Amino acid sequence: MRRILLTAAASLALMTAATAQTAKVSVTAIVEHPALDAVRDGVRDGLEEAGYKAGDNLEFTYESAQGNPATAAQIAREFVGNSPDVIVPISTPSAQAAAAATRDIPIVFSAVTDPVAAGLVASNEAPGGNVTGVSDLSPIAEHVALVKEVAPEAEAVGFIYNPGEANSVVLLEYFREAAEKEGLSVVEAAANKSADVQAAARSLVGKAQAIYVPTDNTIVSALESLVAVAEENDLPLISGDTDSVERGALASVGFNYYEVGKQTAEVVLRVLKGENPGEIPVTFATGTDLVVNRKAAEAMGVTLPQAMIERASKVIE
Amino acid sequence: MIIVEDLHVTFNPGSPLERRAVRGVGLTLGEGEFATVIGSNGAGKSTLLAAIAGDVIPQKGHIRIGERDVTREAPAKRAARVARVFQDPLAGSCADLSIEENLALAAMRGSRRGFGLALRAERRKLLRERVAELGLGLEGRMGDRMGLLSGGQRQALALVMATLAGAEVLLLDEHTAALDPGMAEFVAELTQRLVTAHRLTTLMVTHSMRQALDLGTRTIMLHEGRIVLDISGEKRRSMTVDGLVDMFRRVRGGEELDDDALRIG
Amino acid sequence: MSAIAFWGAVELGLIYGFVAVGVYLAFRVLDFPDLTVDGSFPLGAAIAAVTITAGWDPWLACLLAAFGGAACGIVTAFLNVRFGILNLLASILTMIALFSVNLRVMGRPNMAVFNRETVITPFYDLGLPDHVVRPLVLSVLVLVTVLVLARFLASDFGLAMRAAGANQRMARANGVDVGRQIYAGMAISNALTGIGGALFAQVAGFADVTSGVGTIVVGLAAVIVGETLFRTRALFIALLACVIGSVIYRVAVQLALSADFLFLRASDLNLVTAVLVALALILPRLRSRKVVAQ
Repeated sequence: MRRILLTAAASLALMTAATAQTAKVSVTAIVEHPALDAVRDGVRDGLEEAGYKAGDNLEFTYESAQGNPATAAQIAREFVGNSPDVIVPISTPSAQAAAAATRDIPIVFSAVTDPVAAGLVASNEAPGGNVTGVSDLSPIAEHVALVKEVAPEAEAVGFIYNPGEANSVVLLEYFREAAEKEGLSVVEAAANKSADVQAAARSLVGKAQAIYVPTDNTIVSALESLVAVAEENDLPLISGDTDSVERGALASVGFNYYEVGKQTAEVVLRVLKGENPGEIPVTFATGTDLVVNRKAAEAMGVTLPQAMIERASKVIE
Repeated sequence: MIIVEDLHVTFNPGSPLERRAVRGVGLTLGEGEFATVIGSNGAGKSTLLAAIAGDVIPQKGHIRIGERDVTREAPAKRAARVARVFQDPLAGSCADLSIEENLALAAMRGSRRGFGLALRAERRKLLRERVAELGLGLEGRMGDRMGLLSGGQRQALALVMATLAGAEVLLLDEHTAALDPGMAEFVAELTQRLVTAHRLTTLMVTHSMRQALDLGTRTIMLHEGRIVLDISGEKRRSMTVDGLVDMFRRVRGGEELDDDALRIG
Repeated sequence: MSAIAFWGAVELGLIYGFVAVGVYLAFRVLDFPDLTVDGSFPLGAAIAAVTITAGWDPWLACLLAAFGGAACGIVTAFLNVRFGILNLLASILTMIALFSVNLRVMGRPNMAVFNRETVITPFYDLGLPDHVVRPLVLSVLVLVTVLVLARFLASDFGLAMRAAGANQRMARANGVDVGRQIYAGMAISNALTGIGGALFAQVAGFADVTSGVGTIVVGLAAVIVGETLFRTRALFIALLACVIGSVIYRVAVQLALSADFLFLRASDLNLVTAVLVALALILPRLRSRKVVAQ
């Protein structure tokens, strides 16, 4: 009897090895958010294009931590308990929770701005350990150039962010550096929660001639209130992500997060093929493209240069 | 000993709600003296007690307990020497704590509370004995929540609590008023017994003329914040309830007595 | 639910057990609705993250986190006792201020603590799987804490604290300095929460300024779950019930995460928690009404 069982188990193992195309990928994000959701969809579709079909030969699970780091820690443990082939945490706290929960299961993070500062990898070039992933560090210099292009007269640009978000603080430093190179001063406006965004935006009126909103979850979730202030006061609003342009920002150069998800899927595929995540350098999200919103430009009193419209990969009317 | 000198207490001074509750009361109670206090609603009885206990800080005047001026001392601080029993049986003890926890709390009144076990064996024994002296059979229920007891039982225990930590002064604010007649009588007798046994300088506010004459050695009548009658000794012994009611009527300028304000019995 | 997930939930439940016991002390013993914990929890985490990454001893980190938490409690108590600011409002003020303080402490909103020496790491050599070692060590810590706290509440000082929370007038009449009891109780309550935060940072691998959001609600949920399961007046059991309530809460969350269970999803969590806490606030009222009716 025991021998039969053993034989059965062995043959089952053989079968699994034969159909090596099955994979178990567990995805989590700190909160439900259009950009983060787009990453998730990009990961899933990217895997599908490579022949892993969810529900078929891909066990794809997704959990959101509802903005609560303690829940993120629980999700990480839940995933570790299910021993998937790869864990894909989206956003910094989710990635940290996952990295703390396992030293064995490969982790491919996504949408983490500064993986080194987050303690996820030893260095971007040689991560070491079981963690690698895709950084969504914004193409800041291009954003500053965009500000100069739509508001050539501007002397100061407002930077609206939540000081509680790790990524935003990093972005502020990069932005200040890039802006000062272009002769722009930076005016900070802080909003700790989405309800404060409007007031923070108003505080910029008269002090800055343009507003920049980074990929800040808090601010982006209240983008509409920011757009309203920008339109009322003729302040061109440049965003760090292109999705926000569709929601009323004037323009952005960026990656759309769906593409970031697909780039993440590529790293996941490398790990599934057996590469050691610790030896895969951190990827910086690419695919930067310009999106402009003609209606928003009008409302913010900006005439878009023809060259810019021609260069744009997408123009929203 | 309590010495009250020219005491004035005004609530909400300078506002339209201003009320001069006590207007120049002077009073000396010798050690172990037991005075009953009567007067209509708003006469200032409770305010006088509150000022002695420290709940109310007077605008003018002095209060001394023994040699010490306590006029501005915080209530918790003077609690070492002043014990109280309130009218509301719920107010004088913690419903959620057990009988013995309530007693243990009172036993440390005025002492520094450290980290020793509150219910240590020798203290439990002592508390149990003190409760047994009441003859209410509560010594077998020391672990019960205070909230399970009747009002009378709680007031009886409140009196025991008041005498546990060796106070000098006992303030009773109509502590039998909320009880049924039988229990009220029991608590009144207990009061007399404990006051005598512990030689407590006692002020007892009451609405009962009978109680005012039967208990203690001295009777004081307050009206509109002043002492209008202060009798003791022979004069008090010869005083009848009717005589007291009559006097009460006279100080109120011949007004008819308000039944709610004054119970005779 | 896998064993790792289950033990992970127990582990978090034990960590939040510190918060639950602290919340019990503030809400139930002192009758002080205290939201300070939403700030003292991440402060504890921040202090632990900063000190541990600087190479300090993790036990010392926990101790400092306790002091940090205690300081928060004292500030809230100060606003309430000294200036008569409504207790709830006083605690909200401290909580709001702590958001900025926590950012200052870490110098940034998020700090990683993994691959560092923590209070757990020395025990990984016992030969047990990591995911069992963690809850094991934590349960010893929380048990010791509950024992010490129960003994404290049974002391003369602790009894005075319980009286101050239950009946201020009576406490004062019996010579209890109610203000001082509030200071002490709030300090202890938030010290426990700070320790919870410090342990969270060590076990979850990071400190994040947003990690305090809803701490009070989770703590209250744990307290009510515990109270519902154990109707007792024994202090040790009542405190232990809070910890058990916290563990049960986390296991319930884990069940919700394990999909298909009772139609619950992670996204229903906030609703479930809110219902639990509403019960926490309503039940005592219903109970006391019943007593009055008798």
